[in-house]
This record gives sequence, C-alpha cells and structure tokens, in this order.
Amino acid sequence: MIWFSALVLIPLMAVVVTAIDGGWDVFWSTITSGQTSAAIKLTVFTALGVTVVNVVMGPLIAWVLVRDRFWGKSALEVLIDIPFALPTIVAGLVLLSLYGPDSPLGIDIANQRPAVFLAFLFVTLPFVVRMVQPVLEELELDVEEAAASLGASRFTTFRRIILPSLAPAIAAGAALSFARGVSEYGSLVLLSGNLPFKTEVTSVRILSSIENDNVAAAAAVATVLLVISLTVIVLLDVIQRRVAARG
Amino acid sequence: MSIEVSGLNKSFGDFVALQDVSVSLPTGQLTALLGPSGGGKSTLLRIIAGLDKADTGSVTIEGTDATHLPAQKRNVGFVFQHYAVFKHMTVAKNVAFGLEIRKRPKAEIAERVDELLRLVHLSQFAHRLPSQLSGGQRQRMALARALAVEPSVLLLDEPFGALDAKVRKELRDWLRRLHDDVHVTTVFVTHDQEEALEVADEIVVINEGRVEQVGTPDQLYDEPANDFVMSFLGEVTHLAGTAVRPHDIDVATAPLLAGAVEGTVSRMLRVGFEVRLTVLTVGGEEVSVVLTRTHARSLGLEVGATVWLTVTAGATVVPAMRPSLAG
Repeated sequence: MIWFSALVLIPLMAVVVTAIDGGWDVFWSTITSGQTSAAIKLTVFTALGVTVVNVVMGPLIAWVLVRDRFWGKSALEVLIDIPFALPTIVAGLVLLSLYGPDSPLGIDIANQRPAVFLAFLFVTLPFVVRMVQPVLEELELDVEEAAASLGASRFTTFRRIILPSLAPAIAAGAALSFARGVSEYGSLVLLSGNLPFKTEVTSVRILSSIENDNVAAAAAVATVLLVISLTVIVLLDVIQRRVAARG
Repeated sequence: MSIEVSGLNKSFGDFVALQDVSVSLPTGQLTALLGPSGGGKSTLLRIIAGLDKADTGSVTIEGTDATHLPAQKRNVGFVFQHYAVFKHMTVAKNVAFGLEIRKRPKAEIAERVDELLRLVHLSQFAHRLPSQLSGGQRQRMALARALAVEPSVLLLDEPFGALDAKVRKELRDWLRRLHDDVHVTTVFVTHDQEEALEVADEIVVINEGRVEQVGTPDQLYDEPANDFVMSFLGEVTHLAGTAVRPHDIDVATAPLLAGAVEGTVSRMLRVGFEVRLTVLTVGGEEVSVVLTRTHARSLGLEVGATVWLTVTAGATVVPAMRPSLAG
C-alpha cells in the first residue's frame, strides 16, 4: 500500500496541489483560454473516437487470431505488438514518411486533424486485442454448443454468451487505449505539426507551458486530463458491468 | 422409434471414428452407448445432436429427417461432461435461457424454471452463480437447462465422468429415478460398464467405430455377441479356447468329468467372502477362478494342489477370438 502510494498517489497529489496553488482564477483562466480548451477538446474527442474504433476492431482481430487458422497467422501475432515495442517517436517517423508530404501512397495528411487520429490509432491498436485474446482462448467451445442446442442462433450466442464474457476485457482494453491516447506525444508531434487551435494536443500544450516556465498552467491542464481519464475509466466499468449482467 | 441412425460414417483425417453405424433407439427409454474411450460413442452422440456432421449416412429424430438440420432446430437437449455452464448467469437464468430465446411469456418462464429447479433439487440455489455450486450440482443444473425446452430427446455425453466416485453413484441412481418420472427418450454415453448395466434399459456397445451389440443389460451379460462384449461387461478368463467368467468354472480335486482340464493352483488370494485362484494348466494356460470361501475350504485347496477345471453347465461361453497368452 505504501509502495502503491509512493508510486501513484503522491505524484498525482503533487500535480493537483500545484494546479490549485496558483489559485482558482489562474486555474480557470488557463483551461478556458481558447488555445488550451481547443487542445483539450481535440485530445479527448480524438481519444474517444479511437477508443470506439478499438472496441469494435479489437475483439474482431482477437477473434480471427484465436478462432481462424490461416497462412501467416504467427507473423500477424507479432505484427500486432509492434506499436507496443516501437519507440513512439519512431512510430511518428514511420507515419510521417508514409502519410506526410512525400507520401508514397499519395496521402498527405500532415498538419491536419486526421494525423492525430491516425497516430492515436496506431499506438493504441494492441490494447483491446491483447486484453480480449486470452479470454477468448479460455472460452470453452462446448458452452457455445450448449447455447446452440438450446436453440440460440449464432448472433444470439454471441450477444448473450460470448460478449458478456468478453466485456470486462474489452472495457479494460478500452480504458488503457483511451488513457494512452490522451497522453500520446511522440507518435504525433512530427505528423500533426502541433498547430494551435487545429492539431495541437494537450501533451504538447503541457510541454510548451513548461518551456514558458508556467508550471501552474501545465499542472492545471494535467489535472483536467486526470479528471477526464478517471471519469472515462469509471464509466467504462459501469458499462462493462451492465453488459456482463445482461447476458 | 425415436432416433434412427443409419449407415453413418465419420472420419477425422485418417482416424475412422464411425464405420457404417446403424442403430434404432426406442421412444421413452434410457439407452447407454457403452464402449472404451476413443471408440466413437461420443462422436455418434454429437452427430445425433447436430454438433458434428457425418460424412455419410442419415439421422432421423421422431420421424423427421434431421440429417441436414442444424443443432438449433433439432429440439435436442444436450448435457456435456464438463457442464458447459453459462458462467455469468445465475442458476435460474441458465435454466431459463432456452425458454427466453423462444420468447415465452415471463410468467410462464418463471413457473417452468421453478418447477425444474425443484425437480433437480436446486431451488435454494436459484440466485447463485454456477461457480458457487459443486460439480454434481452444476451437472444437475445443466440437466434442468436441457430439459427446460422440452426436448424430444435428451443426450448426455459422459455426464458423470468429471465427478468423484461417490457423487457419480448418487447421480446415477438419481438419473434413473428422474427418467422414470420424466420419460423423455434419453441416450447417455459412458465407458463405465457398471453405470450402463445399472441405469440403462438398453445398451449399445460401440468399439472402434462399430456397433458390437445392442441389447438389454441382461442380454448383453448373458448372451454376449463376442469376446469383446463379454470382456467389456465383466471379468473374463480363458479355458480350453473359450472365454468364460471366472465364477463359471467348476473346480474338482479328482478327474471326475470327461474334458476336465488338469492344472496346479499357482496362486490363491482371499478377498472378503470370495477366493481367487490362479491355475496353471498342463497346457500352459493361466486360468482365473473365483469361488466362495466355504467352497474353497470344503475342497481343501492350497497353493500347489492339483485340480481339474470344467466350465459350469449352462454358463455363458464365447469362443476366444484372440490368441491368448495370459489365458
């Protein structure tokens, strides 16, 4: 417990204290300033969007990996983990060379909002897949057969038997993927261009506050992110309980 | 006839699981598919349920051709060896599942679930999760779940195989009583001959993908079709080229009868009320003989004694198919 407190709670408290230190007015004016609130909005909504995509695609990919046999499956297994293993700045460089001004695909999204979305998507892809996969492997086939022999269609079996079993894993993966999105820095700085009001995200905003020696402003933004992340994680937990109980 | 299976063949790669299997299972009876592990009995059951597809052959359930019907449409109750519970649902919800899918009115479902849980003695556990039940209770819940949809046939795949011996025996008796109450055509797979003999009205013996014999427990025990059926249903020994049960051999201390085989007692073991002898015949066969303690005492038997063996008149005898070294 002490270990946990030292590692997690004390730094979190320090951020909140620093934010409040500057006084309520400073806090409020910082986060409501046009540039900062635009950055917060962009970050949160993009992270939410990416999380939704992951919630849909993650279980699908996990399903294919667990249930299907095909050529190159083990290669795909390794590929899934690349966003985990790659230093994020390297990922940024890869994205820049692929979707930047010199794109070999002819897709140039540099300095545009889709760049942020893409970078988030890239780094968060493995979370849901890797959370769902082991649970799916544990699911016994005879449970699905039991549902079938009771008259359940494939769809009903999925909705009432499989999905409720996967819900906790999907929720955990979604929470991780959202938190990672909100905090992402390295993979997007190169491609997004960090244009204020357009493609600047909160992590970049925090960094520039620090560079301008405005620790209070940085802490204020950090506190807002903290609150949003906590809310999303709690919400996901509530949703997951609902789905698991509905079965 | 409730279930008609004819000409079924099924292979998994090189492995032939079923080979031209045809059986008719009568309505309202409790039938056991008995045989050693890997003999194809579970495959047969799964094909009847529609969980596996046969390569060739047909399955008819209650007069309708079910060969190409998916499992969902066969109206078959299936109970799995490892219970296959829906872990995230309460016991009552598990039992209600099939009825909810059929969109029955809520009140009707509640009433039926109540009735079934009473039948399987789980009323007080209705709101527990399956993980809070013992293995035997989980299997009873699975049985109630399968019975809820009023299936035309109930199929059980080694239903008591994962339970310990005591619970297995209790559930076996209970299944027999349940069947006498509910009367649904029931087929269960087992590799335990005692279970089959005790519970079933009729037994289908399956070995290496083929039906060896079909009959009542008495028929199988008294008139086994071959050496395999005989040895699978009880202890067997070989005397003068025939397979015979060890308690169906008469022991004499003098060559009174023609055709008696001479031998020496090489081992003598007293277990409770019976005495087990191993007799080494002059022909080099090792024959096991079981007699009562009183009888052995009256003959004055001991290790090294010379005896003459004959098969008891009227005993079940089958010609030995495989050359036997150990007798």
